[in-house]
Amino acid sequence: MTGFYARWAIMIGGILLLAMMTFQQFQQDLSTISLATVLSSPSPSETVRIQGMVKSGTLSGAVDQGQATFELIDGPTTLPVEYAGPPLENIRELKTMVLIGQLDPATKTFKAKDTALINNFGFVAAAYLLTVISMCWALFAMGQRVMVLFKEIKDEKLYEPEIDPLANKE
Amino acid sequence: METTYFVNCNSAIREWDKAPTSSSPHPLPTYQASWPFPPSSCPFTIGSMLNRFIRYIQRYKGWFGGGGAICIFLGLYMGLLASPPDYYQGELVRIMYVHVPLAHTSTLAYSVLFFGSIWYLWKRDPLVDNMCQASAGICALFTALALITGSIWAKPTWNTWWTWDPRLVSFSVLLLILGGYLMLRKLVDDPERGGRYAAILAIVGGIDLPIIKFSVEWWRTLHQPMSFSTRGVAISDDILIPLTLMSLGAWLLFAYMVMVRTQILYLTDLLQAKKGRLLSQTHFSQTSP
Repeated sequence: MTGFYARWAIMIGGILLLAMMTFQQFQQDLSTISLATVLSSPSPSETVRIQGMVKSGTLSGAVDQGQATFELIDGPTTLPVEYAGPPLENIRELKTMVLIGQLDPATKTFKAKDTALINNFGFVAAAYLLTVISMCWALFAMGQRVMVLFKEIKDEKLYEPEIDPLANKE
Repeated sequence: METTYFVNCNSAIREWDKAPTSSSPHPLPTYQASWPFPPSSCPFTIGSMLNRFIRYIQRYKGWFGGGGAICIFLGLYMGLLASPPDYYQGELVRIMYVHVPLAHTSTLAYSVLFFGSIWYLWKRDPLVDNMCQASAGICALFTALALITGSIWAKPTWNTWWTWDPRLVSFSVLLLILGGYLMLRKLVDDPERGGRYAAILAIVGGIDLPIIKFSVEWWRTLHQPMSFSTRGVAISDDILIPLTLMSLGAWLLFAYMVMVRTQILYLTDLLQAKKGRLLSQTHFSQTSP
């Protein structure tokens, strides 16, 4: 009994540790912040990831050479962006993008140096949580069932020799 | 006089009952695969070798569980933290590390069910029947999870939760066959007859396995083609390593789960038989003059 729960404690501890590390990495490398948060940030020189839509009619510059200026919108907030980095392969107006860079506090312009794929980690988390929880539930239920069966076997004294009523009759 | 049925299991259960240790207070009873038949006098028949093989796996099932857990933890670490995102799919590629092993393992589980059913119809070995039933339940779990995780991946990638793609449809048919198998086991009153019908269904349903495997080759599908084929391996090492670890872990986990579930079914049968005989004894003592 103790071994059973000790094994499960180790397993759940390991899973929680992995989940915590994944969440930490998600916060560091994947999560984006809103344009309003960038503009009101107390440390605007920090490198951040922002997500927004390229405003229609604002995209200009040599996109295939990695130089572009446009405005990014996120709800009511608009932020001018100056991009200088790797060539942009799939930028277009009205497209939602994730940009990595810093806010220039003097001009209130976002100096982007790279792009990233739109973060959709929620789907990943859903798939993993569903699988891990289902598997753990199945394994735990099976372990519990074995313990209950052993208890029943002890109660029923299954291991003791049975008397054959027909043999007695004879 | 001791009945023949219980002689075989008694020693193992007595060991479990009488030999608790500090590290393992309740070692599980091992299989007596010959139940309810007397042990075979010839140790070299295929049946006795199969039974010994099952017993051997059963004895070391803890190693399967432990190995599976280690592989899965390593695979989860590599899949979630160490491997890079895919160029096109981004972070969504990480769903592949659970979806693909689940799908592979469900076809493996059905293969066990298929060959076990053939064996059961041929030899009527009740332990193999228990293993088939265990395999079917676990296969249903893996198949359902593979379908759901695939659907979660499909929504952001294909912009739909479901599409009538041959691979998806054939895999869903597998789940329906397994549902039918498990229902047959439950609904038919006579367990022996239910086992026989279910085995026939499992064998007929085996035709779905090659359809699942080759559906992406035979028809124009949205699902990606085979990554492992005679043309080579179409996966980069960054993805292949966590995928292999997770697949290995899922196979070991399946072996462990099948053994535990077979044990549960076996012990349930023992208890039911015991209770049935006690009732018969009571009836006999009450009705006899």
